[in-house]
Amino acid sequence: MAVCSAYTTQSLNSTCSISTPAKTHLGFHQKQVVFYRRSSKRGGSGSSSGPCVITCSAGDSQTVVIGLAADSGCGKSTFMRRLTSVFGGAAEPPKGGNPDSNTLISDMTTVICLDDYHSLDRTGRKEKGVTALDPRANDFDLMYEQVKAIKSGVAVDKPIYNHVTGLLDPPELIKPPKILVIEGLHPMFDERVRDLLDFSIYLDISNEVKFAWKIQRDMAERGHSLESIKASIEARKPDFDAYIDPQKKYADAVIEVLPTQLIPGDNEGKVLRVRLIMKEGVKHFSPVYLFDEGSTISWIPCGRKLTCSYPGIKFHYGPDTYFGNEVSILEMDGQFDRLDELIYVESHLSNISTKFYGEVTQQMLKHADFPGSNNGTGLFQTIVGLKIRDLYEQITSSKTAAPLEATKA
Amino acid sequence: MATLRLHSLTATSEKIPKSPFVPSSRVLSASFHCNEKRVSRRMTINAMGGGAKYKGTQMRKKQLSEMIEKKVTEAKEVCEGDETSDECRVAWDEVEEVSQAKANLRLRLEVEKKDPLESFCLENPETEECKVYDD
Repeated sequence: MAVCSAYTTQSLNSTCSISTPAKTHLGFHQKQVVFYRRSSKRGGSGSSSGPCVITCSAGDSQTVVIGLAADSGCGKSTFMRRLTSVFGGAAEPPKGGNPDSNTLISDMTTVICLDDYHSLDRTGRKEKGVTALDPRANDFDLMYEQVKAIKSGVAVDKPIYNHVTGLLDPPELIKPPKILVIEGLHPMFDERVRDLLDFSIYLDISNEVKFAWKIQRDMAERGHSLESIKASIEARKPDFDAYIDPQKKYADAVIEVLPTQLIPGDNEGKVLRVRLIMKEGVKHFSPVYLFDEGSTISWIPCGRKLTCSYPGIKFHYGPDTYFGNEVSILEMDGQFDRLDELIYVESHLSNISTKFYGEVTQQMLKHADFPGSNNGTGLFQTIVGLKIRDLYEQITSSKTAAPLEATKA
Repeated sequence: MATLRLHSLTATSEKIPKSPFVPSSRVLSASFHCNEKRVSRRMTINAMGGGAKYKGTQMRKKQLSEMIEKKVTEAKEVCEGDETSDECRVAWDEVEEVSQAKANLRLRLEVEKKDPLESFCLENPETEECKVYDD
């Protein structure tokens, strides 16, 4: 929110100058721009020709907070990279700080890993017999206090959970960004934190796909075998089902990743069926649709105009209910093989909040070496990124509109 | 009398599994960017150890690999008695934590193509961790 006040002074010897913005040590940003206009008449004849001083202070515009629930640890987050890329710039760890920090910072966004709010380190959890999934291993009071502070423009000293040593390291300073993303296992677990979120996403990976991905992730490791990977998933399942999975019903958007239905009996998790489940009635968020909003559509883009290689691409769109909420579901099964398939699909989607034709395709190509770039995971993550940008712009413009309305009245 | 039978095998080249964790070098990237530059850069970096330039990163990779092995063994032992016990679940959760940490590091090196310690080492070049790793 920016407030500008104009003052006139009678000073005679003023010249044009612009003063630099002042910044306090707390990370509070106060921008004051002072313009001096040289008096056009010499000697000052008493008319309103004195220099005009305008002071504008853009005081702490509220941070937009996004929550992302995912069981994939922090720091990898392809999703985060796609999201920050939509806003421009690359996300990097804080410069010169703890090299094991989980935080990512770009021009517009800061991504914090909720593992940093572990109340118990690895040894502590072992002693108490709780997994990292258990709420008892996390300090939700601190999470709430700090997210609230950042949201209202106050910088915080956030702890660091070191995934290599398993210890809690000394805190790092987090300054309020324009967009704060909190990523981890429990962004929507605590009701108070949930209420601070402007938008929330849950990444729901089905068991078969999770198993296939973890095999690919871990098989190269010396200690692992098919049995150990399976055992690890099975052992974590009770806590996952009890504490993490129930968060899905609170999410504004769920990205569900399932095995493909295009290849019978496929269990390799290579071709994926991805569903973007979007809650209706969320402020500043209009769900993506195909052809005709609110109707049910089944669409195979491959045919006369577009040739696809096996197994092709299949889309589905339609309204539904999800845990008692009205939702719209956009689903993609299959994979992209060529650039023109991607642009063809993009041109038929509506409400994708792009700023120019082909923006989704361009974003996907920019990160063609990210996982999921040839299927629905990359596509929907990119689209959600664009929707978040749209949401951010709507929120910030509605905030600047409010004081203008007040002055008009 | 022994007979020698020659069987001809038709070689079928199987598609390389498209793991979400393995960067896909597909045609998609060809049109917008200069693909050759990226591929050759990637090849050079892989020769250098997959983007790991500093000793600290190599140490972390090694440490995490060893921890995975150690914790899998521990978990198997702990779970022998009771698979549903708290200790067993915590043990496998630790395995997951270090496996994920290792994978994250690997993915960062592959995707970002630069050492995660880069900015830290710019400011602290004298530390042990920031010695440049020689293969």
